[in-house]
Amino acid sequence: MLKFVLLILRNLGRNKLRTGLTALAVAVMVLLCVEMRTILGTVLRRVEAEGSQSRLMVTERWQMPSRIPVRYLPALAHLEGVEDWTTWSSYPCYLHEDRLVSQQAFGVATRPDNLIAMHAGLDKLDPATIETLKREKNGALLAADVAKDLGARIRQNITLFSAFDSSKTLRLRVVGILPVGEYPRVVFFRQDYFETATGNKDTVDIMWLRTRDPEAARHVANQVQERFRNRQPELKVETESAGVARFAGRSQGILSVIQMVIGILLVDMVVVLSNSISVATRERRVEMAVLKVLGFEPKAIMALVVGEAVLIGSASGAIGTTLAWACSATALSGLLPPSSFTRLFYLFPIPIVAIPWGMLVGALVGFAGSMIPAWNARSIKVSDVFAKIA
Amino acid sequence: MNPEDLIRLDNVAKEYVRGSERVAVLLGVSLEIAESDFVALIGPSGSGKTTLLNLIAGLDQPSSGRVFVGEEEISRLDEARLARWRTNAVGFVFQFFHLIPVLTAYENVELPLLLLNMSAARRRQQVLMALDLVGLSHRLDHRPGQLSGGEQQRIGIARALVTDPKLIVADEPTGDLDSARSKEILDLLELLQLGLRKTILLVTHDPSAAARARRVLRIEKGIIVEDRVSPTAVGSPLWRGQDAIVQELPGCSSLSS
Repeated sequence: MLKFVLLILRNLGRNKLRTGLTALAVAVMVLLCVEMRTILGTVLRRVEAEGSQSRLMVTERWQMPSRIPVRYLPALAHLEGVEDWTTWSSYPCYLHEDRLVSQQAFGVATRPDNLIAMHAGLDKLDPATIETLKREKNGALLAADVAKDLGARIRQNITLFSAFDSSKTLRLRVVGILPVGEYPRVVFFRQDYFETATGNKDTVDIMWLRTRDPEAARHVANQVQERFRNRQPELKVETESAGVARFAGRSQGILSVIQMVIGILLVDMVVVLSNSISVATRERRVEMAVLKVLGFEPKAIMALVVGEAVLIGSASGAIGTTLAWACSATALSGLLPPSSFTRLFYLFPIPIVAIPWGMLVGALVGFAGSMIPAWNARSIKVSDVFAKIA
Repeated sequence: MNPEDLIRLDNVAKEYVRGSERVAVLLGVSLEIAESDFVALIGPSGSGKTTLLNLIAGLDQPSSGRVFVGEEEISRLDEARLARWRTNAVGFVFQFFHLIPVLTAYENVELPLLLLNMSAARRRQQVLMALDLVGLSHRLDHRPGQLSGGEQQRIGIARALVTDPKLIVADEPTGDLDSARSKEILDLLELLQLGLRKTILLVTHDPSAAARARRVLRIEKGIIVEDRVSPTAVGSPLWRGQDAIVQELPGCSSLSS
């Protein structure tokens, strides 16, 4: 068996350039496939997860940006079915006084005590960080990319410059960094500090309500619409599940295209491998005939060809997915500068479990791609081959 | 079947179909070849020599008639069983050597043994013995590209010998060699027949090669037209003797003993 594998390896080493190029082509396609599959899987998972969640977003109906009077908050918070709530007050800002477009950030004032519970994706945040934020009124949590741009560290003081009113600067103290990829360009700080620093104590932009289940969310939404109809200002409420469902409906076409592209890539891989293996097999017709003469059964000849393709496919699959995973892991670790490339990995991180799957996909592609050439090799008629040589 | 016969063909015919045309290559050949005999098949191109060789070696099936090698009626075997049978029963020597270029001399010779249930140590012993017989035990790690034509053919012969088959078939084994190397190869085949009692079936166009065989069969248009004993063959009055061969074939002294 070992000798058999050795023979396969030697065969692959005959034309290193062709083997290398085939492997590269398959590796790149596996990489693309894995990334697309990750995007598809992540979107579908999020649609499903968010669809079953029970959060409501309350905003002002007729004005942008929304301004919800603070006096509405107690009534909203005590609606039947509401389990938890928080608010957002937005603070578009610059990280430096010279107000470079590339140094913009999005400040969000909110409640510190239930920050993790009310914000998806912050589960990995250290609870001690939240405790510090609760203790320090001017504490701030920075998105990883913002922290990188500022070169900021924990306990460092920073200043945010309002994008709209240059007199309203915020002087904050960094108490934590958000997980890489979560809430890019966002700086979270406390609502009460924001009110003190800006003097805006009368309104918030958004109120988030959490209910027990989607059914309760619909009930709360009905209450909001009934109670705040014809009031000034009037409120709008949107269940996240409804929003997600709308998004899912709208993006169905895109998801189908992604699925189709994955299919095309897989077929492409099979064709590329099949072509390469076919050429290699055609070149070695005489050798295959010699092997048959020496006693190799047709199935052994077939296994040789399939073995070559499966080996090259699985190796390429492993290389492609390892590369994709390495890029993803490096981006998530914050080692790479923020770019559209790294943002892709923030949003759709590739798990390490993708590597064995990539290998498997590569192996299956190799298997499928080698079927025709292997069958041709198996069917080589020894007397015909040698008659042609003679 | 005569007990001393290794090969028997009963009224064997072979025809090929090319489009709507049927081409008859062998027309009812009947033949016996004794064990340990050295037989040359000669005849013009297209006469059916190689087809006959292929049928005897189990590389092709007759259109009609029966082929026996030893106790086995190989004309009844399917492709997979024929392949298994060939591993043990027949050794092949080709005109163009057909060694696997990515394998070393050792690995090329070892190739047929990989199909047998044999330990690595036993395989090594067999391979070294075969390479020693052809006088190339010092070229184990050389690849075919690093060997001369004569050496490649010797490796080919070692590969044919390594499973210790009773029958060695050689299709124009000297066709791609100069006269000196041809002589070496023919000497080697002669020694194999003498020293190891192999049955050798040689297809050739070369009269001097055919003269090495004890028995010469001439085929024309698909039938055997002549069956004679060579005057210079082993044991005949004009045979030059085993010692003379061994002296001219350095490195192969193990065959003479």
